[in-house]
Amino acid sequence: MHIYDGLILNNTSLVLAAIMWVFSISIFVWSWKKAQQTYTRSITALLAISSAFVFAAQMINFPIAFGTSGHLVGGTFLAVLLGPYAAILSMTLVLGMQAIFFADGGIVAFGMNMFNMAIIGGLSYFLIKALTRKNNSQKWFVSSVFLASWVSVMLGAIITSVEISPAFSGGLGVTLPSMLLLYGIIGVGEGAITTVLLTSIQRLNPTILGGLSLLKGRTDKI
Amino acid sequence: MKKIFIALFLIVAFLVILIPFASSNPDGLEKVVETYGAQETQSPWNGIMADYSIFSIENQYVSTMVAGIFGVVAVLITGLLVSKTLASNR
Repeated sequence: MHIYDGLILNNTSLVLAAIMWVFSISIFVWSWKKAQQTYTRSITALLAISSAFVFAAQMINFPIAFGTSGHLVGGTFLAVLLGPYAAILSMTLVLGMQAIFFADGGIVAFGMNMFNMAIIGGLSYFLIKALTRKNNSQKWFVSSVFLASWVSVMLGAIITSVEISPAFSGGLGVTLPSMLLLYGIIGVGEGAITTVLLTSIQRLNPTILGGLSLLKGRTDKI
Repeated sequence: MKKIFIALFLIVAFLVILIPFASSNPDGLEKVVETYGAQETQSPWNGIMADYSIFSIENQYVSTMVAGIFGVVAVLITGLLVSKTLASNR
Protein backbone atom coordinates (compact mmCIF):
# COMPACT_ATOMS: atom_id res chain seq x y z
CA MET A 1 0.00 0.00 0.00
CA HIS A 2 3.10 2.22 -0.05
CA ILE A 3 2.41 5.12 -2.39
CA TYR A 4 5.51 6.03 -4.39
CA ASP A 5 6.34 9.54 -5.55
CA GLY A 6 6.08 8.82 -9.27
CA LEU A 7 2.38 8.29 -8.83
CA ILE A 8 1.53 11.55 -7.08
CA LEU A 9 3.64 14.20 -8.80
CA ASN A 10 0.60 15.83 -10.36
CA ASN A 11 -0.96 19.06 -9.15
CA THR A 12 -3.99 17.62 -7.38
CA SER A 13 -2.06 14.86 -5.60
CA LEU A 14 0.72 17.27 -4.64
CA VAL A 15 -1.77 19.45 -2.79
CA LEU A 16 -3.11 16.35 -1.05
CA ALA A 17 0.42 15.21 -0.24
CA ALA A 18 1.23 18.56 1.37
CA ILE A 19 -1.95 18.46 3.45
CA MET A 20 -1.21 14.90 4.54
CA TRP A 21 2.34 15.83 5.54
CA VAL A 22 1.09 18.58 7.84
CA PHE A 23 -1.74 16.46 9.18
CA SER A 24 0.35 13.35 9.81
CA ILE A 25 3.22 15.24 11.42
CA SER A 26 0.74 16.94 13.76
CA ILE A 27 -0.65 13.58 14.79
CA PHE A 28 2.91 12.30 15.18
CA VAL A 29 3.71 15.12 17.61
CA TRP A 30 0.50 14.44 19.53
CA SER A 31 1.33 10.72 19.67
CA TRP A 32 4.83 11.51 20.87
CA LYS A 33 3.45 13.52 23.79
CA LYS A 34 0.86 10.88 24.60
CA ALA A 35 3.44 8.12 24.38
CA GLN A 36 5.64 10.02 26.83
CA GLN A 37 2.79 10.29 29.32
CA THR A 38 1.89 6.63 29.12
CA TYR A 39 5.47 5.41 28.78
CA THR A 40 6.44 2.41 30.82
CA ARG A 41 9.93 1.00 30.97
CA SER A 42 8.66 -2.34 29.74
CA ILE A 43 8.30 -1.07 26.18
CA THR A 44 11.87 0.20 25.75
CA ALA A 45 13.13 -2.99 24.14
CA LEU A 46 9.71 -4.03 22.89
CA LEU A 47 9.26 -0.91 20.74
CA ALA A 48 12.59 -1.40 18.98
CA ILE A 49 12.19 -5.16 18.57
CA SER A 50 8.60 -5.08 17.32
CA SER A 51 9.42 -2.27 14.86
CA ALA A 52 12.32 -4.28 13.49
CA PHE A 53 10.11 -7.35 13.21
CA VAL A 54 7.39 -5.44 11.35
CA PHE A 55 10.02 -4.13 8.94
CA ALA A 56 11.14 -7.71 8.25
CA ALA A 57 7.60 -9.03 7.98
CA GLN A 58 6.72 -6.34 5.43
CA MET A 59 9.42 -7.75 3.14
CA ILE A 60 7.69 -11.12 2.94
CA ASN A 61 4.91 -10.84 0.38
CA PHE A 62 2.31 -13.59 0.32
CA PRO A 63 0.47 -14.38 -2.91
CA ILE A 64 -3.25 -13.67 -3.13
CA ALA A 65 -5.58 -14.03 -6.12
CA PHE A 66 -5.18 -12.37 -9.57
CA GLY A 67 -1.37 -12.64 -9.70
CA THR A 68 -1.17 -10.15 -6.87
CA SER A 69 0.58 -10.26 -3.55
CA GLY A 70 0.26 -8.55 -0.21
CA HIS A 71 2.22 -8.29 2.97
CA LEU A 72 1.54 -7.62 6.60
CA VAL A 73 1.24 -3.92 7.42
CA GLY A 74 1.43 -4.59 11.13
CA GLY A 75 -0.33 -1.48 12.44
CA THR A 76 -2.87 -3.36 14.53
CA PHE A 77 -0.18 -5.79 15.69
CA LEU A 78 1.90 -2.89 17.00
CA ALA A 79 -1.15 -1.19 18.48
CA VAL A 80 -2.03 -4.19 20.65
CA LEU A 81 1.58 -4.71 21.64
CA LEU A 82 2.60 -1.10 22.32
CA GLY A 83 -0.62 0.85 22.70
CA PRO A 84 -1.89 3.30 20.07
CA TYR A 85 0.60 6.14 20.50
CA ALA A 86 3.84 4.18 20.60
CA ALA A 87 2.48 2.11 17.70
CA ILE A 88 2.14 5.26 15.59
CA LEU A 89 5.74 6.19 16.41
CA SER A 90 6.95 2.67 15.72
CA MET A 91 5.21 2.37 12.35
CA THR A 92 6.40 5.84 11.31
CA LEU A 93 9.92 4.68 12.02
CA VAL A 94 9.48 1.62 9.80
CA LEU A 95 7.97 3.71 6.99
CA GLY A 96 10.74 6.28 7.36
CA MET A 97 13.51 3.73 6.92
CA GLN A 98 11.67 2.17 3.97
CA ALA A 99 11.32 5.53 2.25
CA ILE A 100 14.85 6.76 2.90
CA PHE A 101 16.89 3.64 2.18
CA PHE A 102 14.69 1.51 -0.04
CA ALA A 103 12.45 4.04 -1.83
CA ASP A 104 9.55 1.83 -0.72
CA GLY A 105 7.01 4.59 -0.35
CA GLY A 106 7.92 8.09 -1.49
CA ILE A 107 9.32 11.06 0.37
CA VAL A 108 6.68 13.44 -1.00
CA ALA A 109 4.10 10.74 -0.30
CA PHE A 110 5.40 10.14 3.21
CA GLY A 111 2.58 12.03 4.93
CA MET A 112 0.06 9.95 3.00
CA ASN A 113 1.72 6.66 3.82
CA MET A 114 2.09 7.71 7.44
CA PHE A 115 -1.60 8.35 7.68
CA ASN A 116 -2.72 5.27 5.75
CA MET A 117 -0.59 2.80 7.66
CA ALA A 118 0.92 4.26 10.85
CA ILE A 119 -1.93 6.43 12.08
CA ILE A 120 -4.88 4.29 11.00
CA GLY A 121 -3.01 1.21 12.26
CA GLY A 122 -2.24 2.73 15.64
CA LEU A 123 -5.76 4.07 16.09
CA SER A 124 -7.26 0.65 15.31
CA TYR A 125 -6.44 0.05 18.97
CA PHE A 126 -9.56 2.00 19.90
CA LEU A 127 -11.75 -0.23 17.75
CA ILE A 128 -10.50 -3.27 19.65
CA LYS A 129 -10.95 -1.44 22.91
CA ALA A 130 -14.53 -0.54 22.04
CA LEU A 131 -15.34 -4.05 20.85
CA THR A 132 -13.89 -5.74 23.94
CA ARG A 133 -15.40 -3.37 26.46
CA LYS A 134 -18.45 -5.50 27.17
CA ASN A 135 -17.05 -8.93 26.50
CA ASN A 136 -13.42 -9.65 27.27
CA SER A 137 -13.30 -13.37 26.59
CA GLN A 138 -10.28 -14.61 24.70
CA LYS A 139 -12.36 -15.68 21.72
CA TRP A 140 -13.95 -12.28 21.38
CA PHE A 141 -10.59 -10.54 21.84
CA VAL A 142 -9.09 -12.57 18.99
CA SER A 143 -12.10 -11.85 16.74
CA SER A 144 -11.84 -8.15 17.53
CA VAL A 145 -8.14 -8.12 16.67
CA PHE A 146 -8.90 -9.86 13.39
CA LEU A 147 -11.66 -7.40 12.53
CA ALA A 148 -9.59 -4.35 13.51
CA SER A 149 -6.69 -5.55 11.35
CA TRP A 150 -8.97 -6.01 8.37
CA VAL A 151 -10.72 -2.68 8.89
CA SER A 152 -7.40 -0.81 9.22
CA VAL A 153 -6.17 -2.24 5.92
CA MET A 154 -9.47 -1.42 4.20
CA LEU A 155 -9.52 2.16 5.51
CA GLY A 156 -5.93 2.60 4.37
CA ALA A 157 -6.86 1.25 0.94
CA ILE A 158 -9.87 3.58 0.64
CA ILE A 159 -7.81 6.65 1.45
CA THR A 160 -4.98 5.45 -0.81
CA SER A 161 -7.39 5.11 -3.72
CA VAL A 162 -8.49 8.73 -3.22
CA GLU A 163 -4.89 9.96 -3.00
CA ILE A 164 -3.72 8.18 -6.15
CA SER A 165 -6.90 8.71 -8.19
CA PRO A 166 -5.70 11.88 -10.03
CA ALA A 167 -3.07 9.74 -11.81
CA PHE A 168 -5.74 7.53 -13.40
CA SER A 169 -7.89 8.59 -16.31
CA GLY A 170 -10.80 6.71 -14.75
CA GLY A 171 -10.17 8.47 -11.43
CA LEU A 172 -11.69 7.16 -8.23
CA GLY A 173 -14.10 5.09 -10.29
CA VAL A 174 -11.31 2.64 -11.13
CA THR A 175 -9.02 3.00 -8.12
CA LEU A 176 -11.63 2.56 -5.38
CA PRO A 177 -13.30 -0.69 -6.49
CA SER A 178 -10.03 -2.35 -7.48
CA MET A 179 -8.24 -1.33 -4.28
CA LEU A 180 -11.19 -2.47 -2.17
CA LEU A 181 -11.27 -5.83 -3.92
CA LEU A 182 -7.53 -6.50 -3.59
CA TYR A 183 -7.10 -5.14 -0.08
CA GLY A 184 -10.28 -6.88 1.05
CA ILE A 185 -8.36 -10.10 0.41
CA ILE A 186 -4.99 -8.83 1.65
CA GLY A 187 -6.76 -7.63 4.82
CA VAL A 188 -7.82 -11.20 5.57
CA GLY A 189 -4.13 -12.13 5.49
CA GLU A 190 -3.41 -9.18 7.76
CA GLY A 191 -6.06 -10.35 10.22
CA ALA A 192 -4.87 -13.95 10.16
CA ILE A 193 -1.18 -13.10 10.64
CA THR A 194 -1.91 -10.51 13.34
CA THR A 195 -4.08 -12.88 15.39
CA VAL A 196 -1.61 -15.76 15.05
CA LEU A 197 1.30 -13.53 16.07
CA LEU A 198 -0.48 -12.05 19.06
CA THR A 199 -1.90 -15.31 20.39
CA SER A 200 1.54 -16.90 20.02
CA ILE A 201 3.12 -14.07 21.99
CA GLN A 202 0.38 -14.42 24.58
CA ARG A 203 1.18 -18.11 24.94
CA LEU A 204 4.97 -17.83 24.89
CA ASN A 205 5.35 -14.78 27.07
CA PRO A 206 2.16 -13.63 28.75
CA THR A 207 3.98 -10.95 30.73
CA ILE A 208 4.87 -8.96 27.58
CA LEU A 209 1.23 -8.21 26.98
CA GLY A 210 0.43 -7.80 30.65
CA GLY A 211 1.90 -4.33 31.14
CA LEU A 212 0.38 -2.34 28.36
CA SER A 213 -2.03 -4.23 26.29
CA LEU A 214 -5.75 -4.50 26.13
CA LEU A 215 -5.61 -7.55 28.33
CA LYS A 216 -5.69 -7.75 32.10
CA GLY A 217 -8.10 -4.86 32.44
CA ARG A 218 -5.38 -2.26 32.33
CA THR A 219 -6.72 -0.40 29.36
CA ASP A 220 -7.77 2.58 31.46
CA LYS A 221 -4.19 3.72 31.75
CA ILE A 222 -3.72 4.20 28.05
CA MET B 1 20.85 -5.73 25.86
CA LYS B 2 21.02 -9.51 25.62
CA LYS B 3 17.31 -9.56 24.82
CA ILE B 4 17.89 -7.23 21.88
CA PHE B 5 20.57 -9.48 20.39
CA ILE B 6 18.43 -12.57 20.75
CA ALA B 7 15.55 -10.75 19.05
CA LEU B 8 17.85 -9.51 16.27
CA PHE B 9 19.07 -13.06 15.70
CA LEU B 10 15.50 -14.39 15.50
CA ILE B 11 14.34 -11.67 13.11
CA VAL B 12 17.35 -12.25 10.85
CA ALA B 13 16.63 -15.99 10.93
CA PHE B 14 13.01 -15.20 9.98
CA LEU B 15 14.25 -13.25 6.94
CA VAL B 16 16.87 -15.80 5.90
CA ILE B 17 14.27 -18.57 5.94
CA LEU B 18 11.31 -16.73 4.40
CA ILE B 19 12.88 -14.49 1.72
CA PRO B 20 13.02 -17.35 -0.85
CA PHE B 21 9.29 -17.96 -0.33
CA ALA B 22 8.22 -14.33 -0.63
CA SER B 23 5.97 -13.69 -3.61
CA SER B 24 7.38 -11.42 -6.30
CA ASN B 25 3.94 -10.65 -7.72
CA PRO B 26 2.98 -6.98 -7.68
CA ASP B 27 1.25 -5.85 -4.50
CA GLY B 28 -2.32 -4.51 -4.52
CA LEU B 29 -1.40 -0.92 -5.36
CA GLU B 30 1.12 -1.92 -8.04
CA LYS B 31 -1.48 -4.24 -9.56
CA VAL B 32 -3.99 -1.41 -9.85
CA VAL B 33 -1.34 0.74 -11.57
CA GLU B 34 -0.43 -2.16 -13.88
CA THR B 35 -4.02 -2.93 -14.81
CA TYR B 36 -5.36 0.55 -15.44
CA GLY B 37 -2.18 2.37 -16.36
CA ALA B 38 -1.41 5.54 -14.47
CA GLN B 39 0.27 8.76 -15.45
CA GLU B 40 3.60 8.35 -13.76
CA THR B 41 6.63 10.55 -13.48
CA GLN B 42 10.18 9.90 -12.41
CA SER B 43 10.52 9.62 -8.63
CA PRO B 44 12.87 12.26 -7.21
CA TRP B 45 14.48 9.77 -4.84
CA ASN B 46 15.33 6.15 -5.60
CA GLY B 47 16.79 5.19 -2.28
CA ILE B 48 20.10 3.51 -1.72
CA MET B 49 18.81 -0.04 -2.04
CA ALA B 50 15.84 0.19 -4.37
CA ASP B 51 13.63 -2.91 -4.37
CA TYR B 52 15.43 -4.19 -1.29
CA SER B 53 18.46 -5.24 -3.21
CA ILE B 54 22.05 -4.13 -3.46
CA PHE B 55 23.18 -3.55 -7.02
CA SER B 56 26.71 -4.83 -6.46
CA ILE B 57 25.53 -8.24 -5.24
CA GLU B 58 24.44 -10.40 -8.15
CA ASN B 59 22.85 -13.23 -6.24
CA GLN B 60 19.29 -12.02 -5.73
CA TYR B 61 18.77 -13.96 -2.50
CA VAL B 62 21.96 -12.68 -0.86
CA SER B 63 21.29 -9.18 -2.14
CA THR B 64 17.79 -9.03 -0.64
CA MET B 65 18.99 -10.64 2.56
CA VAL B 66 21.80 -8.12 3.09
CA ALA B 67 19.44 -5.21 2.33
CA GLY B 68 16.89 -6.69 4.73
CA ILE B 69 19.39 -7.15 7.53
CA PHE B 70 20.60 -3.59 7.03
CA GLY B 71 17.00 -2.35 7.34
CA VAL B 72 16.27 -4.45 10.42
CA VAL B 73 19.38 -3.13 12.19
CA ALA B 74 18.57 0.45 11.17
CA VAL B 75 15.02 0.16 12.52
CA LEU B 76 16.24 -1.54 15.69
CA ILE B 77 18.78 1.19 16.44
CA THR B 78 16.39 4.08 15.73
CA GLY B 79 13.71 2.26 17.73
CA LEU B 80 16.03 2.13 20.73
CA LEU B 81 16.86 5.81 20.31
CA VAL B 82 13.17 6.72 20.14
CA SER B 83 12.31 4.78 23.28
CA LYS B 84 15.32 6.18 25.15
CA THR B 85 14.24 9.71 24.20
CA LEU B 86 10.66 8.98 25.20
CA ALA B 87 11.89 7.82 28.60
CA SER B 88 14.24 10.73 29.23
CA ASN B 89 11.96 13.60 28.26
CA ARG B 90 9.19 12.76 30.65
